[in-house]
Amino acid sequence: MTLLELKNIVLQQGTFRLQVPHLKLRAGRLYALKGQNGSGKSTLLRLLALLQMPQSGEVYFAEQPTFSAGGRFRRLRQQITLVEQSPLLFAGSVEKNLAFGLKLRGFSGREMAERIGEALEIVGLGGFQQRSTRELSGGESRRVALARALCLRPQLLLLDEPTANLDAAQVEALESFLTGLPEQGMTVVIATHDVAQPQRIDGERIELIDGHVSQVRSDTILSGCPAQGPDEPLVAGGAASLRI
Amino acid sequence: MGYLGDSFITAIELILGFDREVQMTVWTSLYTSGCATVIAALLGIPIGLWLGLSRFRGRRLLITLLNTLMALPTVVVGLVLFGLFSRQGPLGPLGLLFTPLAMIAGQTVLATPIIANLVLAAVSGADRRIISTALTLGASHLQAARQLLREIRFGVMAAVIAGFGRVIAEVGVAMMLGGNIRNSTRTMTTAIALETSKGEFAFGLALGLVLLGVALLVNLGLNIVQQR
Repeated sequence: MTLLELKNIVLQQGTFRLQVPHLKLRAGRLYALKGQNGSGKSTLLRLLALLQMPQSGEVYFAEQPTFSAGGRFRRLRQQITLVEQSPLLFAGSVEKNLAFGLKLRGFSGREMAERIGEALEIVGLGGFQQRSTRELSGGESRRVALARALCLRPQLLLLDEPTANLDAAQVEALESFLTGLPEQGMTVVIATHDVAQPQRIDGERIELIDGHVSQVRSDTILSGCPAQGPDEPLVAGGAASLRI
Repeated sequence: MGYLGDSFITAIELILGFDREVQMTVWTSLYTSGCATVIAALLGIPIGLWLGLSRFRGRRLLITLLNTLMALPTVVVGLVLFGLFSRQGPLGPLGLLFTPLAMIAGQTVLATPIIANLVLAAVSGADRRIISTALTLGASHLQAARQLLREIRFGVMAAVIAGFGRVIAEVGVAMMLGGNIRNSTRTMTTAIALETSKGEFAFGLALGLVLLGVALLVNLGLNIVQQR
């Protein structure tokens, strides 16, 4: 099933021009968005996250137009979450940060507490709920940002250079965790400038050269339908948990 | 002890003795300036937020205008509103001239540009990722703007305090629109000017000391807020 489809996109930002004639992201797949620094990865991710409107073309989510969706636009955007390369945490506690998106979706206090606890466990920060974001290290902040996105269980998770500035062991742990997410029904796009990463994570490749996008089908596409929908609990602990 | 020393002692006695006249004047000042600050905050915060977040043709011109309004002389505001509220003016039938409401209106005009400008500065200095983070977590544009306000709340509080500081100490608007009527529109600043000219130096000094105290508290509050 096609989750997100881009058709005839032109997005001009100053002198930079992003062009996407056609791009299709299927549900429950892992994609590696490859490109050099300055090739437009972050711009493309912002477009995929429906945060930036193109000058022409349309983005379809589950075959429905998005930018021209009117009142339904926000509902569609709530299915997608972007974790930026240097994510920003709001002032206050870790719990408040994770609760932000859940509150907007109308979750009850008990449901929120469950999801927050579970997401923090996954990123190896169990019990961090009451910690102030000011007290967190850089690595912990990035994990909280990832947990904040995971607890929303989006259908499409976009990650901008998630392994930048991590050591080899941390990269391995994070990659191993992220490659497990499509099995749980989530579509994941990982932007990277690390030439070896697309091969390591074994996903479909999207290449970006000077603002031009081309989609390269990998032979090692994860096959089969997702075992769970994205609203099912994410696996905590075991091979799918993250300890970085 | 001399004129100054005697006046100072009398002024302290007036304050500590809770002199009714002093109390009433202080209350009028705090009430009118407090109301004006609340209204100016309700107007100035959205204006600052809107100017800080949106990009449109003429935005720079609006910001320049707002900067100019910050330095607006109080007597000019008093004069313009006097024209509006006077019997022959367009708002004359409302009978607002020489009432606390007229003073509140004038002080609101003075405080709004200050609050809007300082909120605009706080928004401009805020991390641009606050809005995009809120949006990607599912917020609407309005909810994202509210989150931004939460993040810059200390800057917003400083803006409101600065607005209050401007109006509590002004004399032009209070004099021209309030008329310095005893037990009604007499504020600390207008009373100081009038009583001193009548030779009641000690009374003026007592109000001056209270005004200084209020200014000190406002600045102390501003300092605490700015350090957070």
